Amino acid sequence: MQETTSIPHFFLTIEESGLSMWVRDNPFWAILSVHALGMAILCGASLIVALRLLGIPRDLPLAPLKRLYSYIWVGFWIQVVSGMLLLIGYPTKSLTNLDFYLKLILIAVGMVVMVMLKKRVFSDPAMSEKDMMLRGRALAIWSLVLWAGVVTSGRMLAYTYTNISYPG
Amino acid sequence: MNLPHVHLLLNHWPIIGAFIGLALFVIALMTRNHDLKQASLVLFAALAVLTIPVYLSGNAAADAMKKQKLEGWPTSLVDSHEGAAMLAFLALGLTGIFALVALWPSTRSAKPEAQSKSWPTMAVLVSSLVTAGLMTVAGNTGGNIRHPEILAEGEAPSSIAAMGASFILAVRYFVIDYSRWVWPVVEDLHFIGLILLLGTVGILSVRTLGFFKQLPVGPLHNLIPIGILGLLINVVTGFMFFIGMPFFYTGNWYFQLKIFAILVAGGILVLFYCTGLFRKWGTVGANEDAPGYAKLISVASLLLWIAIVIIGRYIPLGEST
Repeated sequence: MQETTSIPHFFLTIEESGLSMWVRDNPFWAILSVHALGMAILCGASLIVALRLLGIPRDLPLAPLKRLYSYIWVGFWIQVVSGMLLLIGYPTKSLTNLDFYLKLILIAVGMVVMVMLKKRVFSDPAMSEKDMMLRGRALAIWSLVLWAGVVTSGRMLAYTYTNISYPG
Repeated sequence: MNLPHVHLLLNHWPIIGAFIGLALFVIALMTRNHDLKQASLVLFAALAVLTIPVYLSGNAAADAMKKQKLEGWPTSLVDSHEGAAMLAFLALGLTGIFALVALWPSTRSAKPEAQSKSWPTMAVLVSSLVTAGLMTVAGNTGGNIRHPEILAEGEAPSSIAAMGASFILAVRYFVIDYSRWVWPVVEDLHFIGLILLLGTVGILSVRTLGFFKQLPVGPLHNLIPIGILGLLINVVTGFMFFIGMPFFYTGNWYFQLKIFAILVAGGILVLFYCTGLFRKWGTVGANEDAPGYAKLISVASLLLWIAIVIIGRYIPLGEST
């Protein structure tokens, strides 16, 4: 072990744990698959809400889409759990990559935007669809941009890391 | 049965099909026969899907010949055929897309031609003519590989095929060598396409199975083009991966399984989209139950697309030995 490395020794402790070794073994690809499906649920449900607020499809009743939020939260927690497992498997790979922190920030902002959207648009059942669309338009565009950013920064993790595991 | 066998089994269908489709389409236009026109459009869409495994298995056939070092193995003839096949595949794919656009109004209403626009019809006509021409070149260059008896003395190589071959090389250069960021960006687009496709299939299936009953099914129909856009993005980006590293995918067991599953899921969609099944489904209003066959299709396509995502994630593991 080189003394000069600036990577916290803590990462190595994680990598040597039983759970970390288990993740790196066979289940890794299964967890990655679950992570992709969780993405489809979280981003897919957000996409439908955002598209409808932007008028696609215009004749679809808007208010019932509030219930898509339960899918958004299910998708979110699938991502948190599967993402934590992937992180435990390869802590050095993620935590030494700036792109990983960018992704976390984008996810946080993305979820905040979705929650704000719910408050602004879906909290008053008496609101007309026209008002809902007017109030939700800007946030809907932001949510599309942010989820595209999350997917992109996540995808880039596979191409931008400097250490796949603790050096030495 | 192996992949070269699959190639031989399937490769005549798009060629003969393109000509039959074109003939039916022209007759339908001349006699103003609406049903015949719809039938030929469905044929084009189905052929476009079928051509995917034809093209992919062609690489396996070429690899098999290389491995067996067949006597006087004609590398240049194979390259030429691959180029011509690429162009014919692109043209048929485009014809299939135009056919889906032309079929779009009929998925909502059984009333013939009342609302159909004329430009998709013209686009299908032009691109199917081009397709038939390019299929001829693909068939001829393919035949040359194993049938020296049809090669005319001193026959010049097809310049169209050469164009296609350089197109393949240009795509490969772009995806692999142009910049190390092209592949990641194409991967990113592949995931975005996945979200468009699964988001659409997801909400449609979930509603049909009775989860969002307040939503009438009819308006959800307008989301289908979003799903098809996602599928198109993924077919294009997927082919960029394949053309970039054909050796990685051709013998890859997960890749083969994924393509098979996509063909089944795509076949279900074409069947559903083109046969007017949606019309009854589309009239299901708020708080009404969807018909049983629609539920069956929903479960099947939802499970298939989930499986396709999972199998796709496993492709890096299936490297051929």
